[in-house]
Amino acid sequence: MPSYKLIYFDGRGRGEIARLLFAAGGIKYKDHRIPPTAEAWGEFKPKTPMGQLPVLEVDGTMICQSKAIARLIAKDIGMAGKTPVEQARADMICDSVEDLGNKLMFMFTEKDENKKEEKKKEFLEKTLPPTLDLFEKLASAEGYFVGNSLTWADVNFFAFFGFVNGFFPGDHLKGYVNLNKVMGNVSSNPGIEKWLKERPESTF
Amino acid sequence: MPSYKLTYFKHWGRAGVLRLLFAAGGIEFEDVRIEREQWPELKPKTPMGQIPILEVDGTIICQTKAIGRLIAKEAGLAGKTPLEAAQVDMIVDGLSDLQVKIVDFFIEKDEKKKQEKIKEFAEKTLPMFLDTYEKLANSSGHFVGDALTWADVDFFSLMFFLKDHLPNDPLKGHVNLTKVRDNVTSNPGIAAWMEKETSH
Repeated sequence: MPSYKLIYFDGRGRGEIARLLFAAGGIKYKDHRIPPTAEAWGEFKPKTPMGQLPVLEVDGTMICQSKAIARLIAKDIGMAGKTPVEQARADMICDSVEDLGNKLMFMFTEKDENKKEEKKKEFLEKTLPPTLDLFEKLASAEGYFVGNSLTWADVNFFAFFGFVNGFFPGDHLKGYVNLNKVMGNVSSNPGIEKWLKERPESTF
Repeated sequence: MPSYKLTYFKHWGRAGVLRLLFAAGGIEFEDVRIEREQWPELKPKTPMGQIPILEVDGTIICQTKAIGRLIAKEAGLAGKTPLEAAQVDMIVDGLSDLQVKIVDFFIEKDEKKKQEKIKEFAEKTLPMFLDTYEKLANSSGHFVGDALTWADVDFFSLMFFLKDHLPNDPLKGHVNLTKVRDNVTSNPGIAAWMEKETSH
């Protein structure tokens, strides 16, 4: 087994998918959280491949980009998909979730409060529902995006929704039978269930 | 070998790299190129209302990178170990991040804003990106290991797409990246494909 060190800020953000997958697979890893100071990040940033976090150190090699990291861990724990086509299906779900996440970036970049409120409304009323309709069709009645067992596609969707719920309190998955099953399958995975109870509190 | 059917518009866009991967791997595929007018009818039949899509063994895969990874695996261009595969993935994801910035100026309708965005991209965003990527490529002209991977092909594809939008060769002065581009264009399958694609 390789030695793993995950480096991210002290929050869930783009690092949490890796932590959830390590938990699901029962894999020991070093959960290194960079202190929230300009110096700490400033010192570490030039050591990263692309000046960004998260970074995963695997036996001394640094991998960046949250999905590259997540896919590597998913392969290690048997949750990447059982065949190349299944793996491609998992990849496409995760990329689609990322596209949806990119539509939320205005929450960080929009400085005008009025425009921000308009964009929030547009996201909740125009962007999210039709996208969820498509995800609902892609999830099975048993609550899996790929095959008939948990993959990182399910875990990634779960992590993303944690993000959405943090911004917009409320049940946005109401009525989505398959998607609710996906969420249930992820949160009841024993390793993940334990992590959700024990993980450090953070503001994001 | 499975049967592959790729569907996209005619232009290079997001499918250019996928066609290159099939070419590099010498893999037969049905290269379906639709007109804009055909898109509304096809759209509801796609998983996420987008193209490119790849139909393989009765399953539809969407998302350029998901498709790219599948073809790359078939062509032996996805990295030799899980760790190498992760390195390929991270290079491709970084290129994808740059592509978001390209799309931003590409779709800008206000001509004045568009020119401003292109200027910022050409003078700030792209040079910074290429400085980072120059360090990630090795001196033999590969991003991962010592052989061609999807990471190299994807880099070439994006630079090829950009060349019509920029006044100068952005790779000038970037020794490793220029070697990456040369390694890709001298791959026999890719050379033959590019000859066909660009000869009209």
